Amino acid sequence: MQVTQTNADGLKHEFKVVIPAGHLEEKVSTRLAEVGRTVRIPGFRPGKVPMGILRKKYGSSVMGEVLESAVNDGTQHALDEHKLRPAVQPKVEITSFKEGDDLEFTIAVETLPEVKISGLGDLALEKPVAEVTDVEVEQALQNIASRQEKTEAAEKTHAAESGEVVVIDFLGKVDGVAFDGGKAEGYSLKLGSGNFIPGFEDQLIGAKAEEERVVKVTFPADYGSDALAGKDAEFEVKVHEVRKVVPAVLDDELAKGVGLETLDELKKAVREEIERDYTNLSRAHLKRHLLDQLAAQYDFGVPEGMVELEFDAIWKQLEKDKSEGRLDAADQGKSDETLKEEYRAIATRRVRLGLVLSEVGRENNITIVQEDLNRAVMAEARRYPGQEHLVFQYFQKNPDALNSLRAPIFEEKVIDFILELAKVTEKVVSIDDLRKDPEDETASEAADAAPKPKKKAAKKKVAAEE
Amino acid sequence: MKMAQISKARAYDIVRSPVITEKATLASEHNQVTFRVPLDASKGEIAAAVEAVFSVKVTAVNTLRQLGKTKRFKGFVGKRSDYKKAIVSLAEGQSIDVTTGV
Repeated sequence: MQVTQTNADGLKHEFKVVIPAGHLEEKVSTRLAEVGRTVRIPGFRPGKVPMGILRKKYGSSVMGEVLESAVNDGTQHALDEHKLRPAVQPKVEITSFKEGDDLEFTIAVETLPEVKISGLGDLALEKPVAEVTDVEVEQALQNIASRQEKTEAAEKTHAAESGEVVVIDFLGKVDGVAFDGGKAEGYSLKLGSGNFIPGFEDQLIGAKAEEERVVKVTFPADYGSDALAGKDAEFEVKVHEVRKVVPAVLDDELAKGVGLETLDELKKAVREEIERDYTNLSRAHLKRHLLDQLAAQYDFGVPEGMVELEFDAIWKQLEKDKSEGRLDAADQGKSDETLKEEYRAIATRRVRLGLVLSEVGRENNITIVQEDLNRAVMAEARRYPGQEHLVFQYFQKNPDALNSLRAPIFEEKVIDFILELAKVTEKVVSIDDLRKDPEDETASEAADAAPKPKKKAAKKKVAAEE
Repeated sequence: MKMAQISKARAYDIVRSPVITEKATLASEHNQVTFRVPLDASKGEIAAAVEAVFSVKVTAVNTLRQLGKTKRFKGFVGKRSDYKKAIVSLAEGQSIDVTTGV
């Protein structure tokens, strides 16, 4: 095998490889002999088939096999010899090959740039944190309370008002004939909730317990059922009871309603919930700062192939968004050229950051252990309460899905690692500042105008390729 | 050998197919080629046919009738067709590549 380097330009390398015909021939023969030992051909016992017939029958497919492995070996050889780490799959082009002739092919490969990681400890980062105020806890409690509203029976003489609940039986008729779904007993209807046909609830205002009323309504023209749409209907309604709505008070009772012992406990739980929320937000900010700094610090050439892949992915997403009319407000009214330029810059940044992160991970032996994966699966399962079992099963049956969890875990671990080294200072900010999209702070960088989720997903992919 | 006069169509009818087996391969070491031929083909006809189809010189033809086996299938007796094999010796230095078609 003869490997010559024809071109070395930055990250791009090109090689020309020549494999002599004799070498190929030898491989084909050994391979055919191997095949001959087991293959069954009518007229011959296994292992007794003459070479000539084997060659006729299997020659071409064995040749293909041998060629492929020769090309792979050659590529591997060329990369090993020059100690290159390819960024993407090397492009192999066969320049000349004829049966019984030397095999010649060229390899075009882009290598991963040398990333020198240094000064992680010098990174100075600001971590915005926000205090949880009592007001917010109070607000959250009120929210819970309003969802826990109770009703209590009013006196028999009380006339129903809007906002109150009536317990009714009803039987609906169109042209004197009862129709499907027009009948119910003991139904609790909140007046003014708009759950029923317009007009129905209004006509029950003022009704008292044990009263019977006939409600005349017209089904709206766009009613779900064609048979009923636009028809006049009469409902015979019997009111059993009028119930007043009692606003829930903040007390232990409320706490019990959501499965906790006392109000204090509920308050604590709510506070923790909010705190967790804020911690996540400040982490997102911190991460963003970190990535910004890294992007500014490292400026090495990135393999075009990777950028191209990344860009294609972004662009495809963008086209899809566009066709569905969900284009970012910021992106609307921009020409394709400007967009392309912007997103290409983003793609470059992502690839670069991905390389930096993976390099940090590699140098410091950050690996993903089974525990990490388990934790991720648990977290994933928790997002689907009641179906945890199904989620577990899904991950058990789909190793691919499990692998897709790997990249984000790796990223998080690397970021944790860097954060431990870096100088992180905490800064108290108001919650409104914290809630601001981390993207907006750096919006001045035109290149960073991409929606965040997309960015993360794509970056993970880069890390995953390592 | 006495050559028979045969038409081109008859020549192609006579050379039905090569026999490719271990035994036939062994025979090819002695410059002999084996064919399946119709039962009614004579040695003279076969020699002429092989010479016409493959443009070679035939020195000898040996033939044999391979009788079909009687086989039973679900209790019914059946018989496979008989056929004739012809082992054709070629003149020194000539060959027929039996694995490629005519």
